[in-house]
Amino acid sequence: MTLQTCVSFELKNSLGELSTLCEKLERIGEVLGIPRRLLFEINLALDELFTNIISYGFADTSEHIIRVRISAENDLLTVVLEDDGIPFNPVERLSPELPCTLEECKVGGLGIHLVKNLMDEVVYSRCGNKNVLTLKKTIEKN
Amino acid sequence: MEIIEEKRGELSTFKLQGRLDSNTSQVFEKRIFDAMADGTKNVVIDFKNLDYISSAGLRVILKATKALKRENGKILLCAMQDYVKEVFEIAGFDSFLPIVPTLDDALKSM
Repeated sequence: MTLQTCVSFELKNSLGELSTLCEKLERIGEVLGIPRRLLFEINLALDELFTNIISYGFADTSEHIIRVRISAENDLLTVVLEDDGIPFNPVERLSPELPCTLEECKVGGLGIHLVKNLMDEVVYSRCGNKNVLTLKKTIEKN
Repeated sequence: MEIIEEKRGELSTFKLQGRLDSNTSQVFEKRIFDAMADGTKNVVIDFKNLDYISSAGLRVILKATKALKRENGKILLCAMQDYVKEVFEIAGFDSFLPIVPTLDDALKSM
């Protein structure tokens, strides 16, 4: 039987929680033995998705909880991000044309573009009143 | 994040330490634009001690680059850790932003 380790935590819908995210990931990185570079990439992907959710995801101003679950099985890392915001599928959004010149460079959609490129797989589903994003990435130890 | 700023005439060097994300990017944006209002035309950003950058950080650098170009100024980025550099590459920013290996290289080309 393979060993599966799963760690989960919650974040509130406030930008200040980005530092909580970073601290939690440092701890989880140690527990699951995630290499530094991969930890950086997971942090960046979650940062971009989390920032999107709290900037555009909620129609009201009340407090919301965003749940993160990270599990490792063999060399596969799975991250699930869950929020109760308005339905939003970031996977549907097309990546921007990559700029060749400064003048062409637009900033919209850049965060999602980073997420899609950093992760091996990004899958969206709407479950009841929740947005559920599942990210997958192979752990390359070296 | 900590920002150390050194100004010599029209050249400002910003040494970044820590994390450039949605929480800290506005502070950095203000520092660059304040320097420009104070006569800075050329900017070097030293990434040696920067551990992390997100798209919010990329946006500030893009905005500053466009503003400096309008003033016929110049911007150079240097000493990036490889995973920070990877973010610039994925975003395609390395095609129009000069990134050099060391602070010395950057200051010599200014």
